[in-house]
Amino acid sequence: MAITEKAQIFMPPISLKAKAGSASGTLTVDPEVLKSGEKAMEGLRREFSDWLAEDIATLAKTFAVFAKAPTAENAGALFRAAHDLKGQATTFEYPLIARVAASLAKLMDGMQSWEAAPLPLVAAHVDAIHVIHRDRIKDISNRIALTLAEELEGRVLKTIAQASFKQP
Amino acid sequence: MDGLRFDKLRILVVDDNQHMRKLVVAVLQAVGVRDLFEAADGEHAWRALRDTNPDIIVLDWQMDGMTGLEFARLVRNSPRSPNVYVPIIMLTGHTHVEHVRQARDAGVNEFLAKPVTVKAILSRLVNVVEHPRPFIRTKTYFGPCRRRRALTAYAGPERRKEPTFVD
Repeated sequence: MAITEKAQIFMPPISLKAKAGSASGTLTVDPEVLKSGEKAMEGLRREFSDWLAEDIATLAKTFAVFAKAPTAENAGALFRAAHDLKGQATTFEYPLIARVAASLAKLMDGMQSWEAAPLPLVAAHVDAIHVIHRDRIKDISNRIALTLAEELEGRVLKTIAQASFKQP
Repeated sequence: MDGLRFDKLRILVVDDNQHMRKLVVAVLQAVGVRDLFEAADGEHAWRALRDTNPDIIVLDWQMDGMTGLEFARLVRNSPRSPNVYVPIIMLTGHTHVEHVRQARDAGVNEFLAKPVTVKAILSRLVNVVEHPRPFIRTKTYFGPCRRRRALTAYAGPERRKEPTFVD
């Protein structure tokens, strides 16, 4: 192996430090600014459950489409809906929905292709998410929801392992 | 105490999920950002990049159509890119180290894992303003320096040279 190509290293021509830096040159965040941001987030909190309900409805819709026609495109839409919930449900105060959604995303990602995800297991995830939201289970240590999440995660691991075993 | 002038920054928020977009925009507005632009997909973001000339892009990874990674690569590498240097903060539900590597290799400056907090958003903004990374151009990569820390044992003068395999 020979080394032939040099890398060019340079600073970007635009300095945001010059544009948005403070007069003193210190670039800290004023605690009052942080408080304002947190207050804004707090102000949105009452909308979180509705937002989550809409995201769950999107998941259910994408699942219904996927169940009818398990194509790569429909699987992609379902995966994105699950992935959105995985990322957002904790922010929206439903960490166990995030966990179940993460399990669903993992299932789809772990198969040879997204569309190979078994429908009954996908349906079980979607149902679990519905139930957790319907019963407003925000407590991460809720025994029933936790057991359900763990059961789904276990089945996902098994399914992925079996799928890997079958692969040539 | 004086601090970062958020009111001077122009920020483009790209996310196909309207709720997450609304949340990020609300936080940015609350901390003083006045020039905020939104796009729901890569195509609109590309147009917005040209039309609004943002200082920073907050970009979701998993989007319908063009993904955040593809958009980041386009911004860094397209000859038609209006600003190949614009700092990109990748907002994502992916948390595996492999995903961080992929984002970094696409030219992303900062990685912001969901669930988002106000503190995390602000700290990423401060990072891109306060610690602008040098840019690297090699045959296979153009973007901010990917070495945040000295992770490699080798720190010699030719560590950035690209290897070429010869017969």
